[in-house]
Amino acid sequence: MKPNQAPAIQLGIRVASPLAIVVGVYLLFAGHNFPGGGFAAGLVFGAVAILRTIAGLQRPRGTTALIACGVLMVTVVSFLPILWGDPLLDQRVVTFDLPLLGTIKTGTALVFDIGVSIIVVGLVAAIINGLSASQPTQGAGQPTQGAPQ
Amino acid sequence: MLWLLFGAHLVGIAAAVLAGRRSMQAGLCAAALAPAATAIWAATRLVEGGDVVSAELVWVDGLDVAISFRADAVALLMTLLVSGVGALVMGYACGYFSSDAKGGSRFGATMLGFSASMLGLVWADSIWTLFIFWEMTSVTSFLLVGHKHTDAAVRLAARRALVITATGGLVLLAGLILLAQNTGSPNLTKLAPISGTEAAVAAALVLIGAATKSAQVPFHVWLPGAMAAPTPVSAYLHSAAMVKAGILLIAVVGPAFGDVAAWKWLGICFGFASVIWGGVGALRHRDAKLILAWGTVSQLGLMFTLFSAGAPKAIFAGVALLFSHALFKAALFLVVGEVDVRTGTRDITQLGGLARSMPLAFVVALLAGASMVGLPPLLGFTAKEAAIEAVLKLSGGTQAVVGVAIIGGSVLTVAYTIRLLYGIFGPGPATSVAPQGYVRRRSWLMAAPAVTLSLAGVVGYAVIGGVNEIVVPAATELNAKAGVYELIAWPGVKTAFVISVLIVITGAVVGVLWIARGSNRIPLSLGADATDGIVDGVISKSPRLIAWIQHGSLPVYLAVMGTVAVLAAAALASDFAGGHLIWWDHPLQAMLAAAVVIAALAAAFVGSRLGAALALGSVGFGVTGLFLVHGAPDLALTQLLVETVVVVGFVLGLGHLARRFPPVTGSWRSVRIMVAAAGGLAVTAALVAAGTNPTGQPPTPDLVAEAVAEGGGKNVVNVILTDLRALDTLGEVVVLATVAIGILALARVRTRPQAQTQES
Repeated sequence: MKPNQAPAIQLGIRVASPLAIVVGVYLLFAGHNFPGGGFAAGLVFGAVAILRTIAGLQRPRGTTALIACGVLMVTVVSFLPILWGDPLLDQRVVTFDLPLLGTIKTGTALVFDIGVSIIVVGLVAAIINGLSASQPTQGAGQPTQGAPQ
Repeated sequence: MLWLLFGAHLVGIAAAVLAGRRSMQAGLCAAALAPAATAIWAATRLVEGGDVVSAELVWVDGLDVAISFRADAVALLMTLLVSGVGALVMGYACGYFSSDAKGGSRFGATMLGFSASMLGLVWADSIWTLFIFWEMTSVTSFLLVGHKHTDAAVRLAARRALVITATGGLVLLAGLILLAQNTGSPNLTKLAPISGTEAAVAAALVLIGAATKSAQVPFHVWLPGAMAAPTPVSAYLHSAAMVKAGILLIAVVGPAFGDVAAWKWLGICFGFASVIWGGVGALRHRDAKLILAWGTVSQLGLMFTLFSAGAPKAIFAGVALLFSHALFKAALFLVVGEVDVRTGTRDITQLGGLARSMPLAFVVALLAGASMVGLPPLLGFTAKEAAIEAVLKLSGGTQAVVGVAIIGGSVLTVAYTIRLLYGIFGPGPATSVAPQGYVRRRSWLMAAPAVTLSLAGVVGYAVIGGVNEIVVPAATELNAKAGVYELIAWPGVKTAFVISVLIVITGAVVGVLWIARGSNRIPLSLGADATDGIVDGVISKSPRLIAWIQHGSLPVYLAVMGTVAVLAAAALASDFAGGHLIWWDHPLQAMLAAAVVIAALAAAFVGSRLGAALALGSVGFGVTGLFLVHGAPDLALTQLLVETVVVVGFVLGLGHLARRFPPVTGSWRSVRIMVAAAGGLAVTAALVAAGTNPTGQPPTPDLVAEAVAEGGGKNVVNVILTDLRALDTLGEVVVLATVAIGILALARVRTRPQAQTQES
């Protein structure tokens, strides 16, 4: 569709994007103990990507690399335990102290979750690209993509 | 140790890719190291003896899914053949290819990849391991046969080999699953004898799988075509390694089918047909490589017959034949390859007189040929004697059929061997194809492996005790009673020996008569043409079928999916139990449910697309509220976000479509309404049925305890997703990634034609 370039919408989305990213990151890290998780975080990031596309601010790029990166993270974390003789997808929990933040407890599940969120973002980005592939993209994205009728 | 050797192969593949960029020769040298080391290891193990080496990498513990290796006597014998012949052939290939040959990385790496797959197959101790490596040999052999991929005939031959062996692999998988279920263990060394109908079916399936791999009639049609491969590939895959996989398989699983009559007779039928038809084919062809290929079909049929017969002595003779065949057939292939690159032809009617110009090759071919025929003082003689002795030990119908196979096959072998050697080395117009005499100079790299392999036949005969140390333990491993036999260098004038002499005389007469008849008509390849016809037919007819199944209309797809879902839910529709249904836990639920219903009706009736999308979003947000009231914040959060993304995505996507839905009228409208209504009713009925039939206590307390103890997290849903049930999540995200890649590909398909029209 033709990007909506109304200044108010553009400004609103421009301001809201960083906040939404922060919310997404929070969901990603909070997921282990509170509502959230990789899937939810990925959806937040994906929603940001769609809104920015609609407003004509930005088009997602490097979608393939994003998906590949996510799949790689998830697969490596899943299969690594086998090398140490543990079962597939076994979790390692790490606890360490950081200045200011105090004791941090994290594990390989977090890497897995990050991979999940990256794949979800990649899927949303692929949908955006797929929907706008046959349309002219005025003012945003690559002008070579698509052909005006 | 097994891991080390296997790992060395994997490292070697990488090394071959890198070194192969410099030249074909460098790639092959890098590839030959790991097989050479493995062969030396196997040889020392065989000489020194000692405990059986095994290694296991468990993947799924409860399901017995593991990669398990075990190098027992049989495996060591096969390792010696696979790696020893492999290393020699790779050395030979250095001389076979010209120094400016292209594709060194590919060839060296694929050869070694095949070698590694073959080792995995030979070492496999579980049915699953065996199957995985079985298929890997099919794939690597496809790549090797199709090495000269610019030639359409080569591509066709490679495709034929892949189609037949891979289809056979699937049949084998079905048979192995049945076998594992009936014996109760996927472990190859713990297969208990089975019987009954399922056992007979499993026997037939496993035999068909083995027959496709070992080129047994009527599945042999891929092997002559596979001669389109470079000769080193034929010498390796089609004499020593891959075609032996089927033989090894029936030898190893044979004990489990000992009580199944179908196993024995079907196997003997395959073997019998192959022995005779392969021998006839070898007599009819003119291309030296094709003669050897058809001869291989015949010889493999001999082993198939012996192992299927299942008597201890027959198994012993089969192992001896397996060992000696690999040596002499590989040597013959290597000689033919040398003749090919040095004269430019393999046609025995054009060749001749090479005994004088290629004396070393002549001696090698003579030794290997004599071993194949079964003349003393060569290893082939002792193996053939053992086979005839085995026939004498059998009784009844088995003896008659196996006897005809072995005697008839041996007569044919003598005849085609004489014809082959006479055609290449006998008197005739010397090397008329190459005007200057030679296409290529002699290379010691090609001579040395062939000499080694043919001398192995002589040395094996001289130190027959040493060969017995290899063959007897392997036979004992397959059948405990086979250990009492051994190969005998000179049995004296006994029945078997007399039969042997008669075979050689008859075969020689047949061979001489056949040469004198001088029929040089090339037989038609009906079987291969039929196979290609089937594959081409499927490819050319399938678009019409696909156009019919994949209609392309989204409403039709939805209607089909909805109908199937209704049918699936209909089974539950009557499964109500009263007393558990309540209207609501909280009045808020009733209000939210009313909102959901109103939004759903609006989505169905509103005429504008954007309106319908927003109504659909309202349904989702209403459900979010229901989740929240029910106490599932994580689920509600996810639902909320999914709905948000979907609604925003609709806004993005609707720009492509008209503002309003197109009108739907007539019977199509009725069908849609009916499917939708039935879908709603069925889902409601299924939910009510599920809600009124509680089974036991909810698993929540257990899950909470497990989440905190094992996952270390307080969000049970998230711990389930990332730890307790992470395998499901892994599968789901892989699906998501696949969908994303599919969308990207579709988008690319849509843009490309437009881009082209723009350019033109």
